[in-house]
Order: sequence, then C-alpha cells, then structure tokens
Amino acid sequence: MTRISKILTLSALALAVGACANVDRSRNLGNPQVSGYTLAQQVCSTCHGGNGINANGTALNPTFPNLAGQQAIYLETELQEFHDHSRRDAAAQDMMWGLTRQLTPEQIKALAEFYAHQKPLPNPAQGDPVAVAAGQKLFIEGAPERSVPACATCHGARAEGNGPVPRLAGQHADYLYKQLMAFNDDVGRENHPEAQERPHAVVMEGIAHGLTDEQKRQVADYLQSLQ
Amino acid sequence: MSLRRFVSMLTAGSAFVAVVLSLFPSTASAVPLYARQTGQKCVACHVGGVYPLLTSFGRMFKLTGYTMGDRPNLNELEVQKDAPPISIMLQGARQYYANTSNGLNGAAPGSAMDMQVLSLFAGGKITDNIGAFIQWTGQKYGDTQTGSQWTSASGIDNTEVRYADRILGPDSDLVYGVYVNNRSTMSDVWNTTENWSNVFVGFFNGGNAQAPVTFLDSAATQHGMVGVGAYAFKDNTWYGEMAVYKSVTHGPATFLLTAGTTGMPLIDPSPYVRLAYNKEMGPHSFELGIHGMVSYAHNGTADSGGISDWAGTVNTYRDVALDGQYQYVLEPHYFAVHGRFSHENASFAADQVGSAVSNPTNILNETYLDATYVYKAKYGAMLMYQGVTGSTDALLNPMGPAGSPDWKAWTPQIFWAPWQNVRIGYQYVFYTQMGGTTGGNLNFGGTTYSPHDFNTSMLYASFIY
Repeated sequence: MTRISKILTLSALALAVGACANVDRSRNLGNPQVSGYTLAQQVCSTCHGGNGINANGTALNPTFPNLAGQQAIYLETELQEFHDHSRRDAAAQDMMWGLTRQLTPEQIKALAEFYAHQKPLPNPAQGDPVAVAAGQKLFIEGAPERSVPACATCHGARAEGNGPVPRLAGQHADYLYKQLMAFNDDVGRENHPEAQERPHAVVMEGIAHGLTDEQKRQVADYLQSLQ
Repeated sequence: MSLRRFVSMLTAGSAFVAVVLSLFPSTASAVPLYARQTGQKCVACHVGGVYPLLTSFGRMFKLTGYTMGDRPNLNELEVQKDAPPISIMLQGARQYYANTSNGLNGAAPGSAMDMQVLSLFAGGKITDNIGAFIQWTGQKYGDTQTGSQWTSASGIDNTEVRYADRILGPDSDLVYGVYVNNRSTMSDVWNTTENWSNVFVGFFNGGNAQAPVTFLDSAATQHGMVGVGAYAFKDNTWYGEMAVYKSVTHGPATFLLTAGTTGMPLIDPSPYVRLAYNKEMGPHSFELGIHGMVSYAHNGTADSGGISDWAGTVNTYRDVALDGQYQYVLEPHYFAVHGRFSHENASFAADQVGSAVSNPTNILNETYLDATYVYKAKYGAMLMYQGVTGSTDALLNPMGPAGSPDWKAWTPQIFWAPWQNVRIGYQYVFYTQMGGTTGGNLNFGGTTYSPHDFNTSMLYASFIY
C-alpha cells in the first residue's frame, strides 16, 4: 500500500468517526437536542465573542451588538422577533433571520439567560468628547423642545436597562445609531415599509423621530462610553 | 454585432435574470447552498457580498468544516426541509482583445457575447463535523488550443471535504480539522493565497499563456493532484497547516482530478506548509502569513489512457510566499487589500537543461496586490496588480528578446450588484511589460507583438443561485 493510500485510508477513518453526532460541540441550528449554551459557544461566539462582548480581549465588529449583561427578557424578545421576522432592520435580515429560524423556545431562553449572565466590560472605542458630552445631556435631560424625554427615564441612570428595556451602556455607537435610524419613521410609514423595521419598539419610534441625525450620533457616542 | 445590439442583448439578459429572480426572491448568495444552510445573506460571509472574499465569519464557517447551519444530521435521518444542497453559477461576457490574430488569441471570444462559464456547486453540512465544497465547472474557452480554436473544457473544479471540530473554554478557542482536496492553497481562508486571489471572475485572459507564474500559482497545481492536510486555528489568532499533495493516476481518489489532466505534470508527494497571524479589532481585521510548498514534478506527464510516465526525471520547485490582508467591514463601507510576495527556486533535471530550459536553476519572484471597495454591498471597484521578475532563460521564455520571464499587468474593474446574486461588471487587463520588454519586440510565432497586444477587456454578468 502506498503512502498516499494509507493517508487516504486514515482520513476515511477519521471521517467515519466524525459521522457520529456530537451534540455537545454541534453547530447544527436545526437540532433541538443542541443546548442554547452549545450554540452560544459554537455559532454565536463567532460574531458576538465567547462572552458576548469580546474575542480574546479585542472589540467585536460593531455590526454585532455586545450582548454581555443584556436584559434577558429583551434578548428573548429580540431572538423571537428575528425568528418570526418581525424585526426587519438590515442587519437582522442579513445575519439573524436565518440563524434563528429553527431555534426552539427553550434554546432561545437559554441563549438569553447565557448572555444576561455574562459580565459587561467597557467598550474600548472612543467617540468625540464634545459629542459624548452633548449625548450625556440628551440622555439625562432629553430634548424637551423636540418632545424627546430623557433616555435615562426608561433605560436607567447608568443605561443598564430594565426587563424589556435594553441595556445600552457600552454598546457600539455604530450599532446604536443604526438602530435609532431603524426606529425612525420620518419618511412616512405608509410609503416606506422600512419605516417599520422594528415595529414592536413603538415607544422608540416617536423618540427617534424627535432626534436630529446629529443628536442620534451624540447619544450613541455617549452610551458607548458608559461602563 | 453592433454596440446597440449588444446593449439590447444585455438588457434582455438582465430582464431574464430579473424574471428568474422574481421566482426565487428569498435568500441566495455567493455559494447559495451555504446561504440556504445558515439562512444568511452574502454579506455575512463575503466582504460586501463579493465572493470569494471571506469575512471573519466566512473564515470561521469554512474552518469549522462548512457545518454551521441547520442541515439535518444524517444519523437522525430527518427529512430535508430545505432546497437541495446544490447551487449554480452562470457567467456571460463579451470580451475584447487588442490582438485577435489566429495563433495568438486564436478564435478566442474576441467579438461575441457568450455564456462562458457554468459552475455547479454541491456540499455544505453533511454531519456535525463534516462538510464539503464541491465545484464542477464547464468553460467555453478552456486552457488548450486545437489549431486556431480554443477548446471547451469541463471537469471537477475546487473540491474539498473537511472534518472539523471546535473546542471552546472560558478563555480559549481551538478550531482544528483535516481535509482532502484537489488544489494546494484551496484550504486557505484568507484571500491572499494562490487559489483565492485574482479569480474574482472567470474569463479568458489572452496573456495568461505568455505570463509565467510560480509553480504554486500555476495550472499545474490545479485539480491534477490530491492533498491531505491538517490545520489548527487558535484563539482566532494563530493558524497553522500542513498538507501533502500527490498526483494519483488510478483508484478512487482520481474522482478529485480534472478529466483533462493529460499533459499535466505528475507530482511526487510534495509538502505544503502554512502559518498565519490573524488579528481582529472592531471593524478591522489583519492577517500576516507565510506559506510554501516544495513540489516534485515529473517531466513525464499524465496520460489519458491511464498509463502515466512516472519514470520521467523530476524538477523541484521551492516556493515560499509572504502574504497579508487588511479588511474593513462595516455597512455601508467594505474595503479589502491583499498582497502576496512569492519567491521560487526551480531546479531542473539534468536531461531538461539544454532542451526545455537553458539553466539548471532559475528563480522567479511574483508580486500580487489587490484593493477592493464596495459601497452598500452594491457598487464596487477593484484594482489588481500582478508582476513577475526572474532569471533569464532563452529556452523557457523564448518570446522576449533576452529570454526574460518578466511581466507586469494592471487590472481595474468596476461592478454593480443590483441583487446580491447578480453581478455586472467591466474589467480591463492591461499589460505594461511582457517577456522583459515594454516595447514592440516580442516574438510569437514569427510575428512581433508588444505587451499591449495581450490586453483583455470584458463586460460580464454573473448569476448565481
């Protein structure tokens, strides 16, 4: 038997061994036997980091929100909205609709609990200090002249969130800005289906509508700087 | 055909594509069978949706053996609810040549709108740990010429089966696996290596045959040998890989080889090694690596009758390349730069010196650079540079005045992706040097040419589903 044949035989053997299902280290999103924890490790960690906030100490791509310490109820709601396609912002459609399409309620709950229990860490990205200061003012005081209430009222003094209201502290500014745009129905929802990208966030629609583009960036920069 | 008629044909073609798309409005992507498996769109795995450029997620999808997603586990015999794991790619183009004389570009597609490339893909998740990338391609214009006609070719293309596992701890992440494939560097996940650079669109390049490249970058390593390799990727940072490639002339592994391997060199077991450092920070990612292969290539070649000449003497090609990549991936901006600097030492068998080559040893240095920008995953531009310098060898490189292999080419391209699985683009391959000369003193078949005579431009549309 030539060397190459031996190598091929060994490879075939390895492949045969691999044919055994391995639910503890599976990346199968359609198998209800795979735990939420395993999916968090094997699939979600690729973009959201093993701990929901970084990968080997380096910041995640801002396309993917930090999940560590996020409110469990909020996470469960969002996963369900990806699953049933009711959350329709561009990134949700591109990335999350497919990944969540076969998740069971048990897996969704386990994923939400896993990330809620991870420790949030400061975001290493830094915004412009002037914008951060302006964003802080908006967060604490709102913009009464535009009928925008203080964000802290619902999201908490430290933007830690509360139940269905998400934690925002330390979140990527780019992600927050894009979501504020997703809430915005400025162009008129009758003619613009994208205006309902997050139809369940009814409260945020009016608030986002009241913020200027610059104010959205300012408050996003401030929230990113919070720990 | 007049330009007006061509435009009307393109319009009709686009309308046809639009009708097809309207029938399949849901997800479709670079290799859409993978998109159907994960449910994601092109941009999840490909930079700005431009295949074959891989994002961080795309790299991990491949390294974990194409197993992410929800294809049923074979053991549990679940019913397949999704479309079959098959994809199709079709590419049509109209090409133009600076010179279309028979004997140089032959009856190459200089004046016709053609459907040039048809690829079929299969694979994806097979079990929790095993997945595949299987490609079969038919080309209207293959690499060989019969008389003045370029012959069509079809056969197995890049094909790989992988076994992979991923072990995660609180502070550690180890991905490892083994694979069998049919081209060295096909296993790689950065778009800096030979198999996954300068192949963004398939086309007939009038200057290819006259522009020598390293053995590792050449057609000699494409689907004419079978490799078995193993790799590990630690903490998304350090990557190491080793493989051995060999030509096979009989037995089951020959299914991995192109039917038309006749005339390709027979390869004795040849080692391939790869090391890379990868760093990701927010929207930025960097890679710096080294890869190389020592290829032992017989001067006897594979024969279509199954009788292959393993008795021929052996040339040895020692290739080593430094490669690097930078990517910025954050909607609406996508940017990628790749570079590769290869050095080859070729040692020729004694019986070749004086007949096929002038020197017992030659060196060849190859430089490859590309930069791509894509806006909103729809509008893009790309610039590619490739150049070679090396030993003068009058027998190996008879075209230039002094036997020089040196050439340089620039390839700008613009493209538009109206839907994620349709790309319409225009590219121009511009040779500024060939055979060591920039002037009009290249000798080919008794006629003199200048490097510009090999320039190739192409208006193309590709569709993949």
